[in-house]
Amino acid sequence: MNIMSESKTEDFKLKFGPENPNAIEVRDLVKIYTGRKVIEEVRAVDGISFSVNKGELFGLLGPNGAGKTTTINILVGLLDQTEGEAFVGGYDVKKNLPKIKELIGVCPQQASVYQYLNAKENIELFGNLHLVKKEVINERMEKFLNLLGLSKAANRAAKKYSGGMLRQLNLIVALISDPAILFLDEPTVGMDARVRRATWDFINSLKNTNKTVILTTHYIEEAEVLCDRVAIIDFGKLVALGPPKELIAKHGAKDLEEVFLKITGRRIMEGL
Amino acid sequence: MKRQRIFAFVKIQLKSLIKVPTALFIILILPVALILIFGFAFGSIYVEDYGWTGQDGYLFEFMVPGFIAISGLFIAIPVALSFSEDREQGLLKRINTTPTTAAEFMVSHIISNIFMAIIQVAIIFVLTFLMGAMRYITLTGILLSFVIMIIFTLSTIGFGLITATVSKSAKAAGGLVWIFLLPQQLLASNLYPLPPETQIVTMFMPLYYASDALSLLFFGVDLGNLRIWWDLLILVAFSLVLIIAGILLFKKYGRA
Ligand SMILES: Nc1ncnc2c1ncn2[C@@H]1O[C@H](COP(=O)(O)OP(=O)(O)OP(=O)(O)O)[C@@H](O)[C@H]1O
Ligand SMILES: [Mg+2]
Repeated sequence: MNIMSESKTEDFKLKFGPENPNAIEVRDLVKIYTGRKVIEEVRAVDGISFSVNKGELFGLLGPNGAGKTTTINILVGLLDQTEGEAFVGGYDVKKNLPKIKELIGVCPQQASVYQYLNAKENIELFGNLHLVKKEVINERMEKFLNLLGLSKAANRAAKKYSGGMLRQLNLIVALISDPAILFLDEPTVGMDARVRRATWDFINSLKNTNKTVILTTHYIEEAEVLCDRVAIIDFGKLVALGPPKELIAKHGAKDLEEVFLKITGRRIMEGL
Repeated sequence: MKRQRIFAFVKIQLKSLIKVPTALFIILILPVALILIFGFAFGSIYVEDYGWTGQDGYLFEFMVPGFIAISGLFIAIPVALSFSEDREQGLLKRINTTPTTAAEFMVSHIISNIFMAIIQVAIIFVLTFLMGAMRYITLTGILLSFVIMIIFTLSTIGFGLITATVSKSAKAAGGLVWIFLLPQQLLASNLYPLPPETQIVTMFMPLYYASDALSLLFFGVDLGNLRIWWDLLILVAFSLVLIIAGILLFKKYGRA
């Protein structure tokens, strides 16, 4: 299923910057949140390196507080790293953020839409912010709303949406600019099993559009079903990296949960 | 600056004023209610040699300029609320990951709030006219009143932004904004005569210059009267300082 009528793959390549050949690359990335006192310091990201190929669906898997959102926020320019380098779309996040912003779509962990606006108005706004043409916005909007089954609710204010619907809208808003690189921070949190599966199908179908997708999750199944490769992070450190199947085989485990257990001695979903 | 982005923001900001009941109430319904209540209460009380203009007129007539100025100040409430709510919802961060510039975002807010201020003043003028309390102001005076209120709106937005910056939540902003509103409304609105000593305080309040200039215009003072232009000049200075301070403070400390 190809959900983008005009695949812009070639354009993407033209727009990518010259500073790095990968869709995304981070080298020895460190983020320390500083508080007023030294004891308040948090090493949220502690020397992570990985690269994401163009067209890949890459997962960051880890328990709560592992540093997934922090990593994403550095990549999309919301946070400055303390140390290390980060490149998105061939551009250095420290030097060429405006260029990066034209290439990316971001689906934040917190569903961030205007509550008093309906789905269409929210989607349209973000299409306009990316300077997408009106006809193109409408065409894509219809398609996405249909695919995720939101069409009927599209004229209802977002504040009247269920948690799952809000997450779906959050996802569509990130896609309206048909970004070359898509950041999905826990895109399916709060969805029930059925809606989650539909959303997985939807995200999977993005692979055919040659998008690069980086997705964070703490759902083992989500990482296994969707990701070409996963980076498992724990306490800000990268503890494993590779295609889910290979990681499972390498550690003689039955799933990624067991891989995590064998490496760290803990469970990802501990206590949940 | 891209027009498509600014239009898109202005559109949703104006929608918010209609769809969010508090905003609609504060910006339009409250001023109309004030005019109606005070119009009927004080519309027939005739006073002689009143206030510092030393003119005769209905008490209500002396109050209208103050109500216009106060209503403009009310706009600070939805401004403070909308910025802190957008921040709470993660919308400011989300917008920040799009190619939108801070200038486009701020300019759109300035445009939509000035638009609201114009509607507000127009409604008050129409009501006041219908109530027969617009006997002296000239057409030029009316036009100049709009200019004054447009400039005053900039300082109002500044107050709103500073409030949003120092407030941790939208709830806090809704309360804190009164630090700016209440003293100005009580002391600088020209609604009633106050001892000249209060000037030590009111000279630092932009509302004073707006309501003073409006009062002069309302009583048909000649446009050659320098006091109007002094008021306007000081108001411009205050407004520029406040809006720039508001934008810079919010950009530096208020976004996250
Ligand atoms: N603004 C902040 N100030 C201080 N510490 C922070 C801040 N944001 C996050 N942290 C800390 O940094 C660490 C990593 O947080 P982060 O949000 O990146 O984790 P995460 O992997 O996204 O977790 P989750 O699955 O809960 O979303 C946590 O210990 C968190 O408490
Ligand atoms: Mg997170």
